[in-house]
Amino acid sequence: MTHRDKSSRRRFLALSAATATALAGCAGDGSDQETQTATTTQGGSTTKADGADAGVDSFQGSGPYSEGRPDLEGTRIEDLPDLSGTLNLYLGGGEGGLYGNLLDRFREVYPDFDPQVRSAPTAQLANTIVEESSGGSSSADVFWAVDAGSLAYVANQGVATELPSEVTDPVPETFRFDSQWVGVAGRARAIPYNTDQLSADDIPNKVAQFPETDALADSMGWAPTYGAFQSFVTAMRLMENEDATKEWLQKMVDHGVTEYNDEFLTSNAVADGEVAAGFANHYYVLRVKAARPNAPIDLAFTQNDAGSLVNLSGAQVLQGAQNQELATNFVRHLLTVEAQEFFATTAFAYPMIPGVPPVGGLPPIDELSPPNLDLSELSNLGPTLRLMREVGVL
Amino acid sequence: MSALDRLEGYVRRRGIGVAEDGDSLPVGLTLLAAGIAVAVLSPILWIFLRAADVGVESSIAMLSRSSMIDILVNSVGLVTTVTAASVLLGVPLAILTVETDLPFRRFWTVVLALPLVVPSYIGAFAFVSAFGPRGALADALAPLGVESIPTIYGFHGAALVLTLFVYPYVFLTTRASLLSFDGTLVEAARTLNHSRWTAFRRITLPQIAPGIAAGSLLVALYTLSDFGTPSIMQFSVFTQAIYVDFNTFGRDTAALLSLELLAVTAVIVALESRVGNQGSESYAGGGGHTERTPLGAWKIPALLFCAAVTTLALVVPLAVLFMWLTRSGPGYAGGGFAFEWVYGWNSTYVSLLTAAAATLAAIPVAYLAARYRSTVSSLIDRATYVGYATPGIVLGIALVYFGSSYGPAVYPTVPLLVFAYVVRFLPQAVGTTRSSVLQVDAKLVEAARTLGRTPGEAFRKVTLPLIAPGVIAGAALVFLTTMKELPATLLLRPAGFETLVTHIWRVQEAGYYGQAAVPALVLVGVSALSMLVLLVQDGSLIKREERTDE
Repeated sequence: MTHRDKSSRRRFLALSAATATALAGCAGDGSDQETQTATTTQGGSTTKADGADAGVDSFQGSGPYSEGRPDLEGTRIEDLPDLSGTLNLYLGGGEGGLYGNLLDRFREVYPDFDPQVRSAPTAQLANTIVEESSGGSSSADVFWAVDAGSLAYVANQGVATELPSEVTDPVPETFRFDSQWVGVAGRARAIPYNTDQLSADDIPNKVAQFPETDALADSMGWAPTYGAFQSFVTAMRLMENEDATKEWLQKMVDHGVTEYNDEFLTSNAVADGEVAAGFANHYYVLRVKAARPNAPIDLAFTQNDAGSLVNLSGAQVLQGAQNQELATNFVRHLLTVEAQEFFATTAFAYPMIPGVPPVGGLPPIDELSPPNLDLSELSNLGPTLRLMREVGVL
Repeated sequence: MSALDRLEGYVRRRGIGVAEDGDSLPVGLTLLAAGIAVAVLSPILWIFLRAADVGVESSIAMLSRSSMIDILVNSVGLVTTVTAASVLLGVPLAILTVETDLPFRRFWTVVLALPLVVPSYIGAFAFVSAFGPRGALADALAPLGVESIPTIYGFHGAALVLTLFVYPYVFLTTRASLLSFDGTLVEAARTLNHSRWTAFRRITLPQIAPGIAAGSLLVALYTLSDFGTPSIMQFSVFTQAIYVDFNTFGRDTAALLSLELLAVTAVIVALESRVGNQGSESYAGGGGHTERTPLGAWKIPALLFCAAVTTLALVVPLAVLFMWLTRSGPGYAGGGFAFEWVYGWNSTYVSLLTAAAATLAAIPVAYLAARYRSTVSSLIDRATYVGYATPGIVLGIALVYFGSSYGPAVYPTVPLLVFAYVVRFLPQAVGTTRSSVLQVDAKLVEAARTLGRTPGEAFRKVTLPLIAPGVIAGAALVFLTTMKELPATLLLRPAGFETLVTHIWRVQEAGYYGQAAVPALVLVGVSALSMLVLLVQDGSLIKREERTDE
């Protein structure tokens, strides 16, 4: 890599801060004018202070959560070798649009970088990779999926490579998974509640106590058909047992719970006061709050039980990768300060490197109390769905 | 034997008489058609490969589990109900728009056929938005003191939504049968002093039964293979269970369920063969017709009926899409999804390729089945229907497996994607082409042969121009169903190749429904154009009106 490359990249990063206003304006996600102005001011001041931070700004979202971010620490894009060449990327899952935006930022930094993306539901891409490998070899270089189970499945089928330590080192050990894949962004199970109807004290710190809590009678919402909820039930089944899980589901049904199609709808229903509380991934609540800053909604977390599960978006390099070096370097880029800040401020995800804190006043990831559970076991949904059907919630 | 009995007998003989052809099967054509059938059946091999991994004992244990039996019962129940309801909607609507003096017939013909262009997953979503527990209707009724409305979820919702978006298959095939049906026969029966009802029951109905059966077959198999509606309506059927298995990496149990689904398909296809084999099912019309039945006092109820169906099947989904377009609340706008016109072009491009490929593949199969009726020819014909009932995800995974073993020249490429579509939708082209071939008088072809033409020349000079309208109608049908296909598209499209449906999937997956409105409206708009092509080809928009205006 030449010095010229680096300086041209730095020039770009400085330039991109100047265009941050335009980017914020074009993002068009309905944020109000006031917010955009705030972002611009912040972008302007940091440009003067530090060229590198200006680069981080161009990776930030445009919502209220991008304001007043603290100093960020960790590996930066300019510390890494350039991304260059064609990368076949299988992109699994719902944040596809946002992740696509991150790829666009990378493309702007590296004009020679050409990621070829196939996006589809995570599990279907995992099946695809395994079928491809049994038919010939997978055409994917990197599998980046929003679901730990899919990554674990591909790893268990023996078609992923071991990631070098320089990739996995910045990430806490619990999120490295035998170096077969590494977490790049986290999402925590949470309890959104309506602050007009409940206070934080009304929410027990164990989901097991929910069916006995009078404040939650006939006033909770959940989304049983939604993958994240099914992972939560799977976690409960693995930590307790099938009978206890069935009993809990049945008691929740008897306690009165309203069904929604997904957890964004559940969170909106909590904000609307249709239900007083619900089960949802943490970022759906932040999304509601970003769109409706005055909505009476807040988040509670349970402790050391299935209700406090933290699931991951992660990446792995596949054995058939045409260019292992590029694939590995790409995964490293997902763990830079810039990319981590992107996940934090646009997807409202939990960053995986300690130097980048989560947005929205959330407790840092090491203050959550997730259960001690092997995330790869979450892929075994079969028994979960069966018992959910037996109780009649599916 | 009464005069009416003889007339009935004539109708019956006429139905099959056209197809009789004393020749034995021509070797070249049979091999070609058989090759096409084998090609479209080949992906099914994957199901057997994976199902074999399960082992006999655990297979039996798995299939006899109560939840699996529920799924079988649910699926059969849904297929039966949707098919029956589609007949109850499609046949009267076809009769109203062809046989009666219903006002604005041309308008009703178009709008009653159009629900077919609405993808069922969008339709189901629209219904939940409109009639769900927190939908527009509930909101509208809430101030009136109505606290809850009957649930849209479950069996009723799934059956209702599927019926509304697939009944046009029956509507179109029944219309075509009515249009090609010789109306003078009914008049003859009427001159014999029989009531309209008796004449309809004894003369018209037997003649259009194969048309109704052909439409019903498409409805039944579509219902069996559809994933979107049952999953949104939260009703557990084969396709939905297969998806769950794929999502939990149970590829072998998914294959086992697919096998069971194929068995149900075989039963349905065999049932249809018993009714539909009379041979006049048709989308392409052109028979003699003289008189329309005056509706009299029934004019208003008939108009209300047409309007009610149109409202539910067309106005509701379109209204919801426009609502998404204009609303900007949470969940409606946002995300990083800019709509690009290239998505529309990609959809149109692969759909056109598929329509052309399916048409080319359909002609030999349909010609053989229509001209040389035998066990072999009808087996080949029926074999093409298997892919239509195979869920898109199963077909997609199967082709991932086979395609990747041939390397990057084959997978993932547009030709492989087009092949998948052809496997899925070939029967629609086969059906229309077969019925047009049946309507060509075999004597014309014989005359050409007597004049020294080779069979190939006779086909090009005589048969092809005569069957062209049916072939084009089939192509239009294949085009519009390809535009809607999602599961196989997701798995087989080349990197970076986004279509309207994959874009809709991406934004809905991320919860930004508002951004699904533009691509969905473009999808419906482009598909609607092909529906117009189809209706023009069946002559219903031009010829018939001219005749009555005379």
